[in-house]
Amino acid sequence: MRRESFRRATAAAMAGVLATALGACGGSDGGDDDKVEVVFSYLWAGAEAEALEEIIADFNASQDEIEVRGVSNPDFQKQLTSMSGAQGSFDISDHFGNGVGAWASKGILAPLDDFIEADGLDTDDFVPAAMSQMMYEGQTYSMPIALHAQMLMYNKKLYAEAGIDGPPETTEEWAEQIAKLTKRDADGTITQLGYANAEINTSFTTLGFMFGGAWDDQSGRPTPADPGNVAGLEFYTENIPGTYGVAEVRDFTSGFGEYASAQNPFYVDKVATIIDGEWQSVFIDQYAPNLDWGVAPLPYPAAQPELAGTTQVTTSTLFIPRNAKHPEEAWEFMKYLLSEDAMVRFTLALGNLPARISLLDDPRYDTLPQFSTWLDALRSPNAQSLASTPWSAEYTSDLGQAFDDIAQQRTSPAEGLADVADKASSYAP
Amino acid sequence: MPRRSTTSRRQLRLGLAFASPWLVGFVVLILGPIVASGYYSFTDFNLFQPPTFVGVDNYRTMVGDERFTKALFNTLYLTVFGVPLALSLSLGFALALNSRVRGLPLYRAIVYLPTIIPIVVSVYVWRWLLNAQYGYFNRILGLLHLPQPNWLEDPTFTKPAIILIGLWMVGGTTVIYLAALKDVPSETYEAALVDGAGPWQRFRAVTWPAISPVTLFQLIVGLITSLQLFTQPYLLAQTRLNAAAGGPDDSLLTYGMYVYQNAFVFLKMGYASALAWVLFLVTLAVTAVLMLTSRRWVHYG
Repeated sequence: MRRESFRRATAAAMAGVLATALGACGGSDGGDDDKVEVVFSYLWAGAEAEALEEIIADFNASQDEIEVRGVSNPDFQKQLTSMSGAQGSFDISDHFGNGVGAWASKGILAPLDDFIEADGLDTDDFVPAAMSQMMYEGQTYSMPIALHAQMLMYNKKLYAEAGIDGPPETTEEWAEQIAKLTKRDADGTITQLGYANAEINTSFTTLGFMFGGAWDDQSGRPTPADPGNVAGLEFYTENIPGTYGVAEVRDFTSGFGEYASAQNPFYVDKVATIIDGEWQSVFIDQYAPNLDWGVAPLPYPAAQPELAGTTQVTTSTLFIPRNAKHPEEAWEFMKYLLSEDAMVRFTLALGNLPARISLLDDPRYDTLPQFSTWLDALRSPNAQSLASTPWSAEYTSDLGQAFDDIAQQRTSPAEGLADVADKASSYAP
Repeated sequence: MPRRSTTSRRQLRLGLAFASPWLVGFVVLILGPIVASGYYSFTDFNLFQPPTFVGVDNYRTMVGDERFTKALFNTLYLTVFGVPLALSLSLGFALALNSRVRGLPLYRAIVYLPTIIPIVVSVYVWRWLLNAQYGYFNRILGLLHLPQPNWLEDPTFTKPAIILIGLWMVGGTTVIYLAALKDVPSETYEAALVDGAGPWQRFRAVTWPAISPVTLFQLIVGLITSLQLFTQPYLLAQTRLNAAAGGPDDSLLTYGMYVYQNAFVFLKMGYASALAWVLFLVTLAVTAVLMLTSRRWVHYG
């Protein structure tokens, strides 16, 4: 009797163990040939993802050790959470330069210095402003694959309709043009806006730079309430919601179509000028080939001519998470993407600026419409960028909230940014 | 006597053994994380590096945290307005569906239908319906000469939008109410009719007391669900590349979203755990208050 019960009890317990064990079995990857599978999860989507897949296919064909599988996953939050487990769901991914410090300081990213040294990769050929973002406490945690610069884009058809000759030189001229380029119905409903933010965080930080502001000081502390930043945001609030009404602007912008689509408000003549990046050269070709557009350096305040040529440089980075299953193989693929030829193909396909100095004059970029304006911007002494710090995520989030409050005139630029400065004082050093 | 006790002990062992898959699952997957989160709430923990003990710092941070206050306010707003509204509406539907009209099964299916649509899908559809420029909802309001608010961009209207979406999904509670209504004994109604009670008096004196235990149950479940609200505001506030967002003026930032953002976007797992524990205590307190007052208005048997 005793034995019987023991046996039954054991059988029941075994059932439990078996269920757990079976659950665990699903995790192992069953590669049927000898190739190591490297998962490349990227934030790109749509046509950009397709271009990237072609380069992945070329890499896979070029050797028989590694098989890279690309996964389009344009979701910041999912990207971060999938790196928190013991074993990651991808081996290599991309992000932006100002996020390197935050992730490196928390041990999310694998340092690349050993790989770089072993393979003798020449990091001096990469644009220094971008390279400095890749470092945290003396170690390299990401590599720049492409750079971006913000410029003023304008709709030539709307300019002709309004009888304006060309893009503005100074911010004062720009303000006048915005007024001429904005149209309203009899009841105040906006039907065309002289300027709208392409992406509020990038546009507003760029406006700060344009008015001589900075978002962090040399020692890496945040400086949101810099007078230049306040002036930049005041330019927006005075000329857009201050002139046409917050509710009216909000109603108009809430009807904007998807950014990466033919319904982008700039493509459908709803917005006459935007501050946006070089990828628009390729985007417009794809989504709005008939758009008559131009691009010009960002205007500067007439009283501060030394600010001419200001632009904000951002960086697309490649990194290997610390929980990658195959870091060595991921590095092999990263090295391939960073090589001159692959970088040109990649940046050409996406319409991004190359991260290597030696490629800035490459004639292959001549095929992209009006691309040289952005390439030249990278050489400007007024090319600015946001610092890469451990608290970038909180800073970006707090700035985003303040920018929204300011754009919706719930607070003034000066007060909103002073409020961020208050919050920023508690960021971890 | 001794024989019986061996039998019962053996039975206990056997029972535990057969329940072991669940027991192991409960301890490892539920109890463990709860205890761990209690510990983490007293640490600085970023999910990637070992936690460091910081005492009650996380709880102290909450006091001065504006977004915490905002998230708590938003959640209470949605609960105070959303839960009673949804319950009244579902009771109304249930009363209507309990009547004898032709084609009742069809109406019942229609009321329940929204509940079986995946919530992510329906929220995205609502996002389009509520669009200030292209949305059908405002077009209908316009035809009726009613004001057409900017539901998703104007902070005053984002929370009503969430409540509106919630009202659309009352099928589940309606069905439970319907079942409760079917259980109200018809003799009581007949007695009330004989006494000359009108429809309102019959509802007040017969129906409402009879279904009050179900109302209490639905109220508590609705409350807990509402205090943990995440998916609807998260999806309405979603932006390009899914960066952390709380909607215009953080008006869509619910408590659940704030816990999530701290844990998985800002990587402040210690603070997020502390927030989660405070939510747990709030839920416990609200439920306890509800249970205490229930003696006055819930009738059993």
